[in-house]
Amino acid sequence: MDTSNLNRRQFLTGTAGLAAGTGLLAACGSPSAPAAAASSSRPAASKEPGNMSLLEWGGYEAAGTKAQTAGMTVAGADYIKKYGLNSVSYTYITNDDQALQKATAGGSFDLMHPCHENLPDYVDRGLVQEWDTSLIPSFKQLNPYLVQQGQYKGKQYMIPWDWGYGSLTYRTDKVAAADATGWELAWNPKYAGKVSLWSGASTNFEVAALKLGLPKMDDLTDAQLEQAKQELIKQKPLNKFYWDSEYSQMQPAIKSGTAWIAYSWQDTLVSMKAAKVPVAFLDPSQGRLSWFCGFMLGKDTPNYYHAHEYVESFVNKAACAQMTNAFAYGTSNALVTPADITDKALADSLRLSDPHALTNGAHLQSWAPNRAKLQLAWQEVKSA
Amino acid sequence: MLDTEDVQDVAVGPNRRPGRLRAGRGIFVLPPLALVVALLLGPLVLIALYSFGLRSNIPGAATSLDTSNWKDFLTGSGNTFRGLLWHSLGITLLVSVAATVAAYPLAYFLSFVARKHRYTLLLLLLAPFFTSYLLRVIAWQVILNDNGVANSFIQAIGLRPQGEAVPWLIYSNFAVALVLFYSWIPFVALPIFAVLENMDRRLLEAAEDLGASRTATFLRVTLPLSLPGVIAGFVFVLIPTTGEFITPLLVGGTDSQLFGNAIQSFFVDSPDWNYGSVLALTLITLVVALTLVFGRFLMTDLREPEPERGAGK
Repeated sequence: MDTSNLNRRQFLTGTAGLAAGTGLLAACGSPSAPAAAASSSRPAASKEPGNMSLLEWGGYEAAGTKAQTAGMTVAGADYIKKYGLNSVSYTYITNDDQALQKATAGGSFDLMHPCHENLPDYVDRGLVQEWDTSLIPSFKQLNPYLVQQGQYKGKQYMIPWDWGYGSLTYRTDKVAAADATGWELAWNPKYAGKVSLWSGASTNFEVAALKLGLPKMDDLTDAQLEQAKQELIKQKPLNKFYWDSEYSQMQPAIKSGTAWIAYSWQDTLVSMKAAKVPVAFLDPSQGRLSWFCGFMLGKDTPNYYHAHEYVESFVNKAACAQMTNAFAYGTSNALVTPADITDKALADSLRLSDPHALTNGAHLQSWAPNRAKLQLAWQEVKSA
Repeated sequence: MLDTEDVQDVAVGPNRRPGRLRAGRGIFVLPPLALVVALLLGPLVLIALYSFGLRSNIPGAATSLDTSNWKDFLTGSGNTFRGLLWHSLGITLLVSVAATVAAYPLAYFLSFVARKHRYTLLLLLLAPFFTSYLLRVIAWQVILNDNGVANSFIQAIGLRPQGEAVPWLIYSNFAVALVLFYSWIPFVALPIFAVLENMDRRLLEAAEDLGASRTATFLRVTLPLSLPGVIAGFVFVLIPTTGEFITPLLVGGTDSQLFGNAIQSFFVDSPDWNYGSVLALTLITLVVALTLVFGRFLMTDLREPEPERGAGK
């Protein structure tokens, strides 16, 4: 990975801790109840303030960041060219539960980039509104399966964009191939102190459920939840740390050998390849996790048309193709063909041209009805 | 005739009548008082409401008086968060005692040995604090990492085989305690230094004249007289580190998170503001109690008028 890029991100993600702290203060007010939609009297695009505030994961900044030379540079470029770098500001998120919390209590955002498993929460909490898909020219090119998954109660609340897998990235020079069979790798005492799971609550329970062979990983009974909790407590001492930041904690740890096994997404594979670190992305016998995320439109956004334009600059074919090449993630634009992808072997092994791979052979992270219990259980794991 | 009322409102003279003084003071106290009420007491009431289930961080969720979180935290058998609180207090106490013990010689040196250059040295001591706290903790990451400065040195002098880092150097309780210790030493040294500076040096001369050894002078005169500073310094570390969460977040491992991390996590990462409020209120109560206990020692001596300094031979 490019070092200047890393430094910039390290800084950003490093300050995320502080931001989280101040979030406590900012969140003093009461989250208000859903307000009634006001769609009829909307000002024209030129009358909008145009200062967009986004809830976003690090690494997804429109047109990359100023310091960025690698990574995602095409997505969002059209928007930035037209409105300038200072027209957007980002609030960073590091896991799904935190994203939902920030969206609920951290101020009102014009655009959010959550994942499909939380879609009902955003809608039911009255945080988002329906998209006008006719304002997004590339919408017609999007994969119908993902488009349909982005609907809730018959409305298009999410414009799907990126999708991929979650699994364990491991150092092939340190971890014996015979040990890299399934999720139990994270529980292997041979690698005590060299493992790093993510601090995402629901993800870790899904991992534990898969390891335990519980088929309904997102709908665990109380007894199964307890079982998964104990399994995670058992795994805990093997971790060097639970990582929060992909760029400032997890990837440097794998690179330096501080951790040999880490929960990650496949973009880590690309980063490590660039840094010439020998790693593999585990294909567990129980199956990988899979996810897809997309853009959601803030309920009261004063930048209605700007937001649509921003999303168009991300879901168009060129942006999607470059994103796949940069991060090895799949995208929603169905016009991206294998011809657009540089590393064909990688694309094949991850089945990037087929979004059905999300549910076919992998376990799509989905809405969990008992999320509250799950979060408390995760807190207990962390504090145990 | 001059409007004396107006003049008196502006000029702060030594001859003002006490009654006038009080009224004037009252006006000046109002803005900070309003701030305290709005920014401290208000949120505190909100936190209390959350802890009893009377508010919820989930819009539209039903709320009703619910003491189950309190019961679970205070009396639940083997409650994890209560366990974490004891663990955190242990670390905090260790850090506070260690920082105080280490800061005393530092303050003593500044005040008694480096007399001429003491303010220059004091500035040097405080110099790292002109940079962000976050950066200083991240610098420790560079030092303590598996391939960091400390491990490279240990391996270079052959204490450990190449490529085998000391496993407890970072992401451990040790790392958390070390970084907290480092961060707070100057804050402990300052109040001790201030007390030593203001000490009546004639007492030391008297002890010497009466034949006391240097050790006896220190143990029976200097140390007892500097105790208010020591306690102040101790409290300066104890109170903020009790709620600390940044350091364990950056250099702590899975087994070295502190109580503050659980609170932060309950409000941000895995939101359950109701349970988080129980923990937050517990911490606030604890800190207030500590302040009240130690506050008694602080007030008396630090307010004493500055005694006349000896000739300083």
